[in-house]
Parts: sequence; C-alpha cells; structure tokens
Amino acid sequence: MNGKITALIAGALAILATGLLISGVSPMEATKTLFQGSLGSLGAFSGTLKETAPLLILGLGVYIALKAGLFNIGVEGQFLVGATLAATVGLRVQGPVGILLSILVACLGGMLWALPAGLIKAYRNGHEVITTIMMNYVAGRFTDFLVQGPLKAAGSQEASTADLATDTRIPALINSGAFELGWSICVGVIGVIMLWFWMRKTVAGYELQAVGANPTASKFAGISAKKIQVWAMSLSGGIAGIAGAFQVLAYEGRFYQGFSPGYGFDALGVALLAGNSAIGLIPASLLFGILAKGGVSLQANGVPKGITSVVLGAMILVAASIRFRSVKSGD
Amino acid sequence: MIDVLRLALIMATPLCLAAMGGYTSERGGITNIGLEGLMLMSACVTALCSAHFGALGGVACGVLSSTLLSILHWLSTQKYRIDHVISGMAINAIAAGGTNFLYGKFSDPNNSGKLVVMPTNYFVVAAIIVPFLLWVNSKYGRFGIRLMAAGSDPDKARLMGTEPITIRFWGLTATGIFCGLAGSMLVSEVQAFTDNMTAGRGYIALAALILGGWRPIPTFVACLGFGFLSALRVQLDGTQIFGANIPAVWASLPYIVTIVALAGFFGRNRTPAGIGKL
Repeated sequence: MNGKITALIAGALAILATGLLISGVSPMEATKTLFQGSLGSLGAFSGTLKETAPLLILGLGVYIALKAGLFNIGVEGQFLVGATLAATVGLRVQGPVGILLSILVACLGGMLWALPAGLIKAYRNGHEVITTIMMNYVAGRFTDFLVQGPLKAAGSQEASTADLATDTRIPALINSGAFELGWSICVGVIGVIMLWFWMRKTVAGYELQAVGANPTASKFAGISAKKIQVWAMSLSGGIAGIAGAFQVLAYEGRFYQGFSPGYGFDALGVALLAGNSAIGLIPASLLFGILAKGGVSLQANGVPKGITSVVLGAMILVAASIRFRSVKSGD
Repeated sequence: MIDVLRLALIMATPLCLAAMGGYTSERGGITNIGLEGLMLMSACVTALCSAHFGALGGVACGVLSSTLLSILHWLSTQKYRIDHVISGMAINAIAAGGTNFLYGKFSDPNNSGKLVVMPTNYFVVAAIIVPFLLWVNSKYGRFGIRLMAAGSDPDKARLMGTEPITIRFWGLTATGIFCGLAGSMLVSEVQAFTDNMTAGRGYIALAALILGGWRPIPTFVACLGFGFLSALRVQLDGTQIFGANIPAVWASLPYIVTIVALAGFFGRNRTPAGIGKL
C-alpha cells in the first residue's frame, strides 16, 4: 500500500514539474518565487495571513461538519450569505453595536443557509454534498442579484455595496506599517483551540465525533444521531457566516460581486489536510494561504495562476489517499 | 417560439451529454461531482487542439483528455479508495487550474479569429440518441445490467461472477467520453474557450440526473426542461427587477428544483443503493 502512495506522490510531483518546465520556469525557481512572494518579507507575510484568515475560519466550519461525518461543501454559499448580511447590517447600524449585530446576523444567516442541507440529510437521506453544492449556486446567484440591484451603492459603476463607515470596521490588531495582523486570524486561532477543547473534553463534542464515526452505533448508544447531524451542519454554516462577516468588517469593508475567489473549496482542502486534530487546521490553512499569496507572484513571472489549483488538487488526492486507506468499507 | 425551442435544445445538449456521463458513473456506484471538471478540461483541450488538428481532431483530443481525467477518478476511488466526493472535488480543482494554465500557455494570442469546430447539430443528435441507447442497454444490454448490479449491490454482483471494479472502469470511461462531448459542444457553440466556461453546467447535469431518478429518459426530459429555462432566460435578458437583471436569480431555478426534489417532495428517493460502496 505504501508503494502505491509513493507512486501517487511521485506522479503528482512529476506532473507539476513538467507543467512548470513547459512554462519555461525551472521548478526550483518557481518554488523560490512562491515562497519569496508569500513569506519573503513582512509585507508579503501580512498578505499571506490575510489570505489565511478566511480559510482558517471556514476550514473550522468544514471540520466540525466533517467530524460529524458530513461534507459541508456549502461553506462557499454560507460565507457569501454571511458577508452580504454583514454588509447590509453594517451599513445601517453603525459603531461597535453594528459590528456585533453584523456578526450575529451573519452567523444566523449562515446557519439558516446550511439548515436545509442538514435536514435533508438527516430526515430524507438526500446526500448533503449535492444539496450544499446546489445551495452554493443559489447563494452565488442570489447575492449577485442583490448586489446588482437592491444593495448596490448609488452611483457605483460596479456591482458593489457602499463602503462601511470607519467605526463599523474591525481595526487591525497590530499595524506597524510593514506588518499587519488582523483580528480575524486571532478569532480563527481562538476558535480552533476552543473546538479542540470542545471535541476532547465535552460530552457534546464526543457525541458529535461518535455520530461521525458510526451513526448506527451511536444511535444504539442513545445518541440522537439525526439531531446532531442537523446541528453540526447548522453550526458549520454559522461559522462560515462569521467568516463572511469578518471578511467584510475587517478586510474588504464592503460586499461586491465575485467576493469569494473560491474560499469554500480551499476550506474543504484545509479541513481535509488538517488530519485528526483540530490544531492541524492552523498549519493547513497557512499552507493554503502561502499558495494563494505566492501564486500571485508566480503569475507575475509568467506562470498562469491555475497551477496553484492543480497543486491543491494533487495535494488533496495524496492526503486523502493516505488518510482514508484504512477506513474505507462502505458504511 | 420556434427560436426559443431551438435554443432550448442547444442549451440542453451539453447538459444531457454530461448527465448521461453522470448516469454511467453513478449507476455503477461511483458518486461523480467531477462532471464539471471533465467538461471544462475537454472544452479547453478541444479549443487548443482544433487549432492544430482540425475540428474532428479537436473533439477527439478533448474527449481523450476528459476520459483520462475520468479514469483518474476511477483510480483514486477504486484503487486508492479515496472518498468519491473528495476525489471529485480534486478533479474539479485540477481541471479548473489546469485549463487556466494550459490555455494561458498554449493558446495563440495572435489568432483572435474563430476556431474551426464541428457543427453543433452532431452533438444535438448525439444528445438525443444516447439516452435511448443507455435506456435500451439498461433493460436488455449485458453491460447496462451489470453496471446497475455493480451500483445497486456490489457484493451480490460479485456473487454473480462479475467484478464491479472492472465494470466501473468502463462506466467511467463512458463518463469521460460523454462529458468530453459535452465540453466540445460548448466550444462548438461559441467557437472559443474562455476560463471556467462551463459555469456550473456540470452541476446542473448532476441535478438533472437526480431529478430524473438516475434513469436515462427522465433525466433527458429534465435536461430539456433546464434547457428550456436557460433559453427563456436568454429571451428575458435585459428585463429588470429592482434594478438588477432577472437572469441572475432565474439561473438558480434548476438548483432550487433539485433541492426540493431531494427533500422528497417529488416521490421517493431513487439514489442507487450501493453508491459509494466498494
């Protein structure tokens, strides 16, 4: 079995190296550019952290659902719904109250957006992957519509809401000119630690994992598996909504068409790479942040940025083949 | 009205071909959310290769590329035993990134003219014939029945002396071919490739498959319905509601219908029983 996995890794690396050679960049050079562009300077590192923050929080959301045995591919849509709601509330209620209210509303919105998927999974046995994918598209189209029409800032050329007032934004935690550390990354880290504690030390956390490991057995152990599935899905959506709120309040200051460059999918990768412990989410999201930020530098050197998605896809396949090789046997 | 119907048929064609690809995969027991990626890959390769090898050569290369990607799905789910959803997502990522990379590198920026492509009519005819062929095959064909057996109860299929993993290989090969044709159809339609040109059609095809209860003919009808919705959207383009174009929301109708169907409002759940089992 190990031979197979080595073959897979070697194959993935060979394809990447060929791709880079085709584009006229030596693989070493490209790797160097990637890391220099993401970790090479304080400014670059702040950029990497900025990319990491939403991935960490969203990854956290996916991770909770994953532990309950559910794939929440819908974080993309829940994120968009959360961001739209946060921008809408933030524009109407200002100041610290506005910030808190935006986060709360975004969380609720994300939960509600994820709820149908959880209910359909638990009570109708419809695969949550399909429903969440569909909900993603509905969210994408619907938020596009809102931001092109009712929510569009007066006189704006592009499909975007107005900018939030300065006192309705979350300021950076540390801002020394060259280096900037936002609140959202700290929230993400705190969330991860809380989740780790919750999973390890509380009954509810244990039950969630029991349902994920074996729904039938947990039912016989007196755990209401269906209820937990619905809750896990909603919780996951709520966290994704919070990620959307932070993206609006801490970084973007508005909601616009094309708000998410595919965070939802990357977050799924983060959660899959995180492994067995929630703490693994931190390095995994940082890795994705590095790829996202470094990919921009690669593009400046003439390598189309699609190559980073190929790297992600290959990485996910390799990681999954290692993790799932012993577990798989139907239900 | 005739215009709308013609447009509906053209819109339904890539959906139907991709949905039939989904059929041969999911009926054999492999969840396939990578239809989108397969279509995209084929569209890109078709566009790149038809510049060199002519229209038919382009389609052949496109179909080959998506078939290879589809076999990667077989390899990762059946041999490496990766979860089907994860593998599908990875394939979508590889296709989205890979086409961006390939097209960025190999397209000829000086050649802004239209590509030489196969006439769309061929694809339309294929999209009408294939569902019937698959239906007949699922009733009377040896392969179709074995495929259904592999997807419904792989263990019993093994007892009957068939090897589900091998059958699924051919099922996924067919998936690659059908999705490849669907991708080529997209290129034939607009005679160019653009980044992420499938724009969710793979998922709509999946939705049609679900609505059709994993049966070829009802799936075909669902595709026609979705095609008709898209054609109406094109007709309505420019109509404004609250200052925004209607189509933005209209386009999400197929997804909403599918969610309602999955919630069990349109009859029982017809998911192949052995889906995901090895």
